[in-house]
Formats: sequence, structure tokens, C-alpha cells
Amino acid sequence: MILSIARKELKEIVREGRFRVTAGVVLALLLAAVFISNQYYQSVNAQHAQAKENARSEWVNQGEKNPHSAAHYGTYAFKPKYPLSLIDSGIDKYAGISIFLEAHKRSEAQYAAAQDQTALSRFGDLTPDFVLIFIMPLLIILIGFNAITRERESGTLRLLRGQGVPAWKLALGKWLGIFIPVLLIVLPVYILSALFLANVNDYGEFSLGALSLLFLVYILYYAVFTNLTLMVSSLVRKSNIAFVILLGIWIVSCLAMPKISTALADTLYPYPTQVEFEEQIAQDKEQGLDGHNPWSAEAKKLDAETLEKYGVDSVQQLPFNWDGFLMQEGEKHEADIYFKHYQFLKETFHNQTGVYRATAALSPFLPTRFLSMAISRTDYTAHWDFADAAEKYRIELVGKMNGHMMDNSQTGDWYYTVGKEVWESVPEFDYEPPTYAAVLNNNSSNLLTLLGWVLLSSVGLYGAIQRLKV
Amino acid sequence: MIKHIIKFEWIALLRDQWILILVILFFSITLFAVRNGHEKVADRVSAIAHEREEVATQDAQTIAEIDSVERQLKALPSESWLDPRSLENIAWQSPRVVAMDPVPLALVSTGQSDVFTHYVKPKIYGEAYTLGFSELSNPVQLLFGSFDLAFVCIYLLPLLVLAFCYNLLSSEKESGALRLIYAQPISLYPWLLNRLLFRFFVLSAIAIISITVSLLIYQVDIASNLGSFLKLLSLLLLYLLFWFMVAFVVNLRGKSSGHNAVTLVALWLTVVLLIPSVISQLATNLYPVPSRIGMIHEYRVATTEARERADEILENYYRDHPELAPKDTTQENRYTWMLTYFTSSDVVNESIRPILNEYDAALARQQAWVDQLRFLSPATLLQHGLNDIAGTSTAHYVDFRKQVIAFATEWKDYFKERMFANELMKAEEVASLPQHQYSAGDITTSYEGDLGGLLVFLLVASASSWLLYRQANLAKVLITN
Repeated sequence: MILSIARKELKEIVREGRFRVTAGVVLALLLAAVFISNQYYQSVNAQHAQAKENARSEWVNQGEKNPHSAAHYGTYAFKPKYPLSLIDSGIDKYAGISIFLEAHKRSEAQYAAAQDQTALSRFGDLTPDFVLIFIMPLLIILIGFNAITRERESGTLRLLRGQGVPAWKLALGKWLGIFIPVLLIVLPVYILSALFLANVNDYGEFSLGALSLLFLVYILYYAVFTNLTLMVSSLVRKSNIAFVILLGIWIVSCLAMPKISTALADTLYPYPTQVEFEEQIAQDKEQGLDGHNPWSAEAKKLDAETLEKYGVDSVQQLPFNWDGFLMQEGEKHEADIYFKHYQFLKETFHNQTGVYRATAALSPFLPTRFLSMAISRTDYTAHWDFADAAEKYRIELVGKMNGHMMDNSQTGDWYYTVGKEVWESVPEFDYEPPTYAAVLNNNSSNLLTLLGWVLLSSVGLYGAIQRLKV
Repeated sequence: MIKHIIKFEWIALLRDQWILILVILFFSITLFAVRNGHEKVADRVSAIAHEREEVATQDAQTIAEIDSVERQLKALPSESWLDPRSLENIAWQSPRVVAMDPVPLALVSTGQSDVFTHYVKPKIYGEAYTLGFSELSNPVQLLFGSFDLAFVCIYLLPLLVLAFCYNLLSSEKESGALRLIYAQPISLYPWLLNRLLFRFFVLSAIAIISITVSLLIYQVDIASNLGSFLKLLSLLLLYLLFWFMVAFVVNLRGKSSGHNAVTLVALWLTVVLLIPSVISQLATNLYPVPSRIGMIHEYRVATTEARERADEILENYYRDHPELAPKDTTQENRYTWMLTYFTSSDVVNESIRPILNEYDAALARQQAWVDQLRFLSPATLLQHGLNDIAGTSTAHYVDFRKQVIAFATEWKDYFKERMFANELMKAEEVASLPQHQYSAGDITTSYEGDLGGLLVFLLVASASSWLLYRQANLAKVLITN
């Protein structure tokens, strides 16, 4: 019985021009989006590989100089683009792509693509995630808003019930009738992206599991919208009204809620401005040890302590280069200051995330959006992880340079220089993103909210169907 | 007859409780949007004001310190670089605020204001053109965008039009009233058009009143910014009328209410979401922004080479500019270190400027090209127009960046000249340090273009309605169907 209802529903949907046109358009858009994103991804990745190579060769071939000068010369860390950004490019274009690593200073990631684009790009790009998360729910609504109202309006609902078809069977049949076409649109996209990702070497580590997980999240999300669509269609008497209500649900959850949550998060936990942030750091720095200022009170204190520790009268008698030591102690102090202030930013970000997670209870779009970005490694957490790894590398790099100076040169000898072999001894910046287990663990609340939506909307649908009136 | 139509239309609208709900809903949405815009602008204003106060406090302190040294109330510090009169100290510790003050209607559209910073303090070290100008923000917020008035006008208002008009004709047909109306001595097209225009006036009035009241609540001085406000209204009304004509065309096809609703939503989706995202994607792929990553490399190579050369050049510099060389050769210039820095940075700048200029030019060409694509959708035209009115368009931030670079040069030149002359700062000179005054005057407004574009869309929609009506004998189709 369920299958014959589903079959009848499918036939009806497929025969209808409305479905054929919209489904055709959506599929075409999706495939185009995957192709275009693939091209874009390839070109960005080629640039990235080139940039990484350039940065290393600049570092290695910087010529003879003092190790601390080399730390000032610095190098760049470039953020990798991950395979699944092909599906969901997330915040990629709003976050910087390169971080300059130098002595004394933690830099922000620079050169976000959005800064070089015009305001037009704020409408969003035609990427697979735009179609999959934004447009697909609307397609589900278009297919199913009159699934039950139509039967009621034409009087066939009475006939069906008269034949003794249980309401839940009717609902399940209708459900499959809406859901199967959706699957048929998503499936080719899944296969195509799997092929792209598996066949191109440049995509780095690609896991079919992650791609499947991503699509599973979408499927759950579509299940929520299918449930909601059928629920409204069975509760409301007229197709027109069902359509308006469902459209309202879509507008609120996909269009308005993300923006409302943003306004809320921004009001409750505002970010400092760039200048404020820099000035707070500068203030803290001024009060502490500065490696380049041996006359400061802090430096004098360190001086006395060190002399006492080694039982000598002057810094010249120390078994290491005092300048290098002072420089490194200053560096540690500055690194602590940066840690403190970035920790504050991170807390603000976590608080804002909390707001998004709370409002996710009002919109199935939000948990899906965040899960999708997280699995694609294009969310803000992934960006933070990269920035933190780059900072760790920076501290190590500068520490190594100061340490070399400390151990191999005399106090006061600023003309001490070294060359290539020292630069080569610094390992390359090799960044490993967090594991999927960590990603999922971090997003357990989003996953739970989405599952909660699936559960609640199923219960709602069941309840609505039980009270189905002819 | 028209009087009659309008009278009955009015009565019908008043009796429809949906309209009341829509009005309340729209007003609350508008108020919320204006509140969000207001909050952003208020944060911006207070951050800038705070910085300016800090500078004023700092200046007062500097003047006091210089004054005590000048009157010999205080001993000179042992190290010459701690001297409060040292130009180096002033240049480094008392940078001016170069700020982009918001225009009065800035709260209308967030535009690019969440991406870029609105004030910087260019210092004597470092080059202003290398500054990032990016604002610190959670990129998720940038991705989701703001709930501002522009969002309400571009995305939500058309939906309201569709809700108002999707069954303008079909409901008459479905209720059987159409036969009665057709029995009257009136032709269908003007009858429908009059009703449509009446609804347009009602909705426009609701929109204008909601927006005006919301702006007044948040203390926007409309009276003294009437020009910008009227520009805003004219763009908005054209956009609204465009959507009414679209609804009209769909109605004239004589299909059922349900069918009309679905068609109109599909059109909305295409105009407001699909076309803009396709344009944006096309721009990224067909005419990509020049590679920043490539530029960084070139920049770095050039900087390294130039720095090596720079040391040799200071000598030549004095030879080329004898007027700047220390006058009294027995007395060493106290700013030698800074002057060496300036000279070497001049050399570096000369080498890297072409790279950056070339990059900026390529970027400007790309942005100009993308800017033209806005003519492909009324939604992108309205967004462009609103950003222009709010002073948050890309052009405004590009211009601000230019102003910052110009001021940074002025600041540097002021000190450079005086440092070559080995001067010290006097207390009374602090007040006459170079200051920056923001002006958005140099930006060419895109208002006429955006308005013209919207007008073309409106004409196309109106012409199609007339053609559609002429093509089929609609009345017959509608009644016999």
C-alpha cells in the first residue's frame, strides 16, 4: 500500500511541468556549481602550492645574516584549501589566507578574498552548498506543499480513507513520494563530487567517509523539511495556505534566522575593532620585557636575576650570548601577551557560537550550515586551528633563531652571521588539520540539534496525520 | 468608474485582516532592521570618537611635557631619544586618527562596512599601503550577513508584493466575480491595472511610513538629508513597482491562484537569489581577482633587493638633496637613524610601488567589470544603489584607503623635512600637526545608473504585461475556462 501511494505520488510529480522545470533547473545549477567550484579549487590549490614553495625558498635563500634578523625577516604560512571545500566553501572567502610569521609579532591572517571583491559578492556564490542547503528545502516545499491538500480539495482523500487506508501508510507513501525525487537530484551530485575528489591528486587527503557524512547531514536536513511540508499540508485545508505557511517557514529558518542570530551574537558579544585590539596588545607589551630594550626596568631585573643565578658579575661572563637570551625572554613574554589577547577573541567567538547553537533550535538551517562547514573544514574553528598552529610554528622558529644566537655567538656581537645551513635546519611549516573525530566532537551540539529536529518534526507529522480530517 | 474600483478595493483591503497583520509585521521587521543598522553605526561612531579623545588627551600631555622642558621646570632626560620634544617621539607616539565618519544614512545598508576598518592611525614606521584595512570580525557573521534595511528592501519587500497580488485576478475568477465584472462596461486591462496601482500606492505608503518612522525613532535627521532620503525612496519605489508589474504579468496569464503563487516565488528566487549568485560566481571565475599570493612573493623579493641597495644610497641621497644634508657638520643630526630609515624605505618603496600599483590597477579593472554586471538583476541594482546612499559601497572603502595613504605621506613628509633640519617640537606646534578630514566628495555616485537600470526593468515588465494582454483575448479565456 505504501509503495503504491509512493508510486502514484511520484508519477504525479514527474508528470507535472512544475516539478520537471524546477528539478531540472536545480540539478543543472548543482552540477554547474560542482564543475565551477572544481575549477576554482584547482586554480587556488595550484597558487597555494606555488606560494608554499616560494615562501620556503625565500627563507632558505635569504642570505647571510644574524639569526635574529632572520627571525625579523620571517616567513609566511598559507592556509590550505581542503577537498570538501568543493562542496561547502564556508567562511573561506571571508577569512585571510596567509599569515606572516616574524619575531615579536603575531599577525592576523591577511588577504581575505571578500576584501578584494565588490559588494555584489555579498549575495553569495553559486556553490554546491548554496543549492544544497538553501535552495533544496524550497524545492521540497514546491514538490510537497499540496501533497495532502490536493487529495482533500479534489475529494480523493475521502475515497482513500473510505478504502480503509491507515493514515500513517498514506503519510509514509506521500513522504517517499517527495523524498525520492530529492534523493534522485542529490545522488548524481554526490557521485560526481566523489569522482572529482578521488581522481585528482591535488585534492590531498580525501575521505569518502567524510563526503558521505556530509551528504548524510543533508539527507537528515531534507527529512526535516519533508516532515514539515507534509505536516503543514495535512493540517491546513487549502493548498494556497499550506504554500504560504511553508514559504514563511523557509524564509524564517533559511533567510532570516541566520541574520537575526548574527545581530543577537553581535549585540551580546561584540568583537573589539582592529585598532582597539592592537592597542590593548601594545599597552601590555609596553609594561613588560622588550628584548630590544636592555635599558628597561624589566630587563635590568632579569639581568640581575640571571647574574645571580650563574654567580657572575657581568653579562659578558655568562656562558651564552646575553642579547640572544634577553631577546628570547622578551619573545616569550610577548607570546604570552598575544596568547592572552587571542584567547579573549576566542572566548568571544565561543560565546557567539553559543548564541548560534541556541538559536539553532528555531531553525534547522543553522545546525546543518555549521555541520556542513565543519565537516568540509571551512568553518571558523578550522581557521582558528590553522592560525594557532601557525603561531606555534612562529614561536618555535623565533625561539630557534634566538637560541642559535645565544649558543653560538658572543654577547654584544651583532655582526655574527650565519647562512643557508641554519635556515635549512628549520623544519617546514607542515599543518595537519584536526581529525574528523575532533570535528564531530566539537559539533556534537549541532548534530544533536539536527537529530532533535528530525525527531520532533517526525513526531509532529505523526500527530498531524493521526488527526487527519477528510 | 475608477472611483468605484478604488473605493471597493479600499473596503476589501480594510476588511482583510491579513493586511493588518502584514502591516504590523512589516513595521516590526523594518524597526528591527533599522535598530541593527543603528547599532553598527553607533559602535563605529563611538570607537572613532574614543580614539579622537585619546589623541586629544595624549596631545595635552605632550604639550605639558614639552612645556616643562622648555621652561626648564623639568630636567632633560639622560637619553636624547627620551626627550619629549624629539620629533621621533611625536611621530611615533602621537599618530593622528584617520577616520571614515559615517554618512547620515549609513544605517540603511551594512554593505562592506563589516569587512573594512573605519579608522587607522598611520605611524611613522611602516607603510600605509601595506595596511590590511580589514576589520576584526567573526567570518560567520560576514557569511550570514546583516539584517539591515537593505536586506528588508531587497529580499523581503518583494515577497510582500507577491503576497499582496498573487491572486489579484485568479481570486475573482475562482469566486465567479469575474463574470459579473466583465458584464460591466469596462475593459479588463485598465480595471486590473487600476487595482494593481492602488495596491502599489497602499504598500508604498506602508513601506515609506514604516521606514520613515523607524529612521525617526533612531534619530536620523531626515530633514537635513532630504536629498539622500529621496534617492532612497525613488530607488525603492521603482523596485517595488517592478515587482508589482511582475505580479501583474503573472496574473494576466490567467492561471489559478496556487499556480500564480508558485510562479511568483520562482521568479523571486531567480531575481533575488539565483541571478546575483550566478553573477558573483561568474565574476570570480571569468575575471578573477588578481592573485594576492603571487603579489606577496614579488613584493617580498623586491623588498629584499631594495633593502640591500638602500644602505649605499643614503650618501647619494644627500648628494642629490644637499639642502637636506645636516647644515652644521660639526653637530650630528639627532635623527640620523630615522633619516636613514626614511631613505632606505624610499628606495624600497620605489621598487615595490610598481608591483602594488599594478596589482591595484588590475583589481580596479576587475571591480569595474563586475560592477557592470549589476545591471543583470534589479536586486543587485538596488543593493548597489543603497550601498551608495549609505556610503558603504566598495568605492567608498577604496577611496578611504587612498585618503589614508595620502595622509600617511603628509604625516611622514612633515616630520621628514623637520628631521632633516634637526629641529625639536615646540609646545605651540602640537596643535598645528597635520590633521585628516574625511570627505566622501570624490566618489562618483552611481545613483543615475542604478535608477536607470531599475527603470529599464520596470519598462520591460510593463511592456510585457501590455503585449500579453494584446496577444490573447484574455477576458474570453478567463471566463470560458
